[in-house]
Amino acid sequence: MSRDATSPPDALAVDARAITKVYGEGALAYRALRGVDFQVARGEFVMLAGPSGSGKTTLLSILGCVLGATSGELSLFGRRVSGLPESRLPALRIDLIGFIFQGHNLLASLEARENVALPLQMRGVPVARSLREADALLARVGLGDKTRSRPAELSGGQRQRVSIARALAGNPPLVLADEPTAALDAQSGQLVTELLREVCRERGDTVVVVTHDARIFHLADRIVHIEDGLIAGSAPPPDAPRAPTRESHA
Amino acid sequence: MSAPRRAPLSLRLRAMSRVGLRMMLHDKAKLLGTVLGVVFAVVLAIQQLSILFGLLDKNTMFVDHARADVWIAPPGTELFQPGDTLSDSVLLRARTTPGVALAEPLVAAGATVRRPEGGSEAVTLIGTALPARLGGPWSLVAGDVHALDAPDTVFFEDAERAKYGGMDLGTVREVNGRRVRAGGFTWGLLPFGPAYAFAEIGLARELARIPADKQNFVLVTVRPGERPEAVRDRIAARVPEARVLTQTDFSGAIVSALLREQLGVSFGTSTAFGLIIGFIIVALSMFSSVIDNLREFGTLKAIGCTNLDLTGLLLVQSVAYAVLGTFVGLGLVSGMTEGIRSPQLVPIVPMPLYVITPLVMVSICIAAAGLALFRIRKLEPGMVFR
Repeated sequence: MSRDATSPPDALAVDARAITKVYGEGALAYRALRGVDFQVARGEFVMLAGPSGSGKTTLLSILGCVLGATSGELSLFGRRVSGLPESRLPALRIDLIGFIFQGHNLLASLEARENVALPLQMRGVPVARSLREADALLARVGLGDKTRSRPAELSGGQRQRVSIARALAGNPPLVLADEPTAALDAQSGQLVTELLREVCRERGDTVVVVTHDARIFHLADRIVHIEDGLIAGSAPPPDAPRAPTRESHA
Repeated sequence: MSAPRRAPLSLRLRAMSRVGLRMMLHDKAKLLGTVLGVVFAVVLAIQQLSILFGLLDKNTMFVDHARADVWIAPPGTELFQPGDTLSDSVLLRARTTPGVALAEPLVAAGATVRRPEGGSEAVTLIGTALPARLGGPWSLVAGDVHALDAPDTVFFEDAERAKYGGMDLGTVREVNGRRVRAGGFTWGLLPFGPAYAFAEIGLARELARIPADKQNFVLVTVRPGERPEAVRDRIAARVPEARVLTQTDFSGAIVSALLREQLGVSFGTSTAFGLIIGFIIVALSMFSSVIDNLREFGTLKAIGCTNLDLTGLLLVQSVAYAVLGTFVGLGLVSGMTEGIRSPQLVPIVPMPLYVITPLVMVSICIAAAGLALFRIRKLEPGMVFR
């Protein structure tokens, strides 16, 4: 499947300018984002860090087109998203974005391969082919022997790997991850993030990870700090700590 | 903006159908509860309707089995039951009407059978003219129809034999004070009122003390090639003082009168009650299923499913619930219908009901999905990040 063939090749993957988000009205209004400028180059692996309530998940939701900004301009791969009617957003999400959620959010009734195949089927891939591609993606994330398992039969780390495979299904150029390590132990969290970086790097995907898990900061190309709804700064990652071995049970 | 890579709606709906069915099967307790709700609704509604149809049949069966194409009845007649009489003049005018093959008198009168141990039991005495026997006995379980030709012979209802003091063929009983012999037994000829008892018309007139030139009904058959409606109109023109109906008209009029005056409201209410209960159970079950799986539905929205896609998912679920529940429900009703079949009541499930019921239940379940659908439409995909 061709990726994003019509967008300008030099366009930024993410170009958010002066983004604000206000929840509620009047005296109860809460300004979650106060004019955020946030750009991510193609193929970049960026982490959005900040304390709870700083606005990082709100920003990720806006970047993922699942939440509208109150004001500001957002473009993804040169496509202007701001101002698009809500009815156009589901197609845009299918087209451009893969999601990884904090709680994995796999469909409990479906096998791992069916969870991964679903976004492919929403893109019109025939069922048999979608399942073959899902098996290949699961094998790529180290779950080749778990394709028939349901989420309840998998460990937390395994579920998050299925979630990664699902996010990558259909080859979306942008992967957004919300606290992907929050429900995992340190070792599993590190391995899952390493896997995400490795696979996305191979494919040239752009990744934005929201996290406050400092143990994985070293895996980022760049760490953007957000505080009180504003970008507080951007920094290169710290030196990598000693990496855990991959023979873990994640 | 490039064209989206999203699949056409038909393919997306197929994917959603698969997911919807898998979600249904995954939560087995909810599946069982919802299907039982539909089963309950189907059983209650169809059982009530089958009893209603059975009761209606009990009251139209005489008209349907009398082998008459046209009925002449006293004015104001709505049901087949004892009432006013018609003169022989009516009978004679009917017999001379063009297109009439046969016009025979029929007596329908109230009578009592005296029990040997004392007391009496009411019957509806039917007097049929020989040799045509229009309106004569049918559904015989004992005796031969020609036994009616013998003097002082009456056919009784088999189910009422015990009430008449333990009757057998040849047993002698008093009917309206005159001794008659049981010459045969019918099965299931029990209308709302007392059971039918059949006699030759002369005997019936004597027992009921109806003059020889009077009858309660005149039964007409039409010549081959004649339309009953045309003959009815001709007779009606000649006999303006009577009510003239085709067999179909009379049967329909009885159904209409019973539904209007007695059965319609009570059975209609209980049938509607069953359907409403089913609607509520399915609606609540589907709504709670959506609430339980809100995060999954939010995820589906986040990965690109539209409200229309999720509507398809819910509709497939509601149709599946309806089909499953209706299938089981109709199976149960068929079994129950056989179980409660008796001479007093033979529940009837007409074939069209086997087609209409799934359609009605599918409509009800789709309507019941409305509440769940409303919740899903309001669901913001952004909730998956909270």
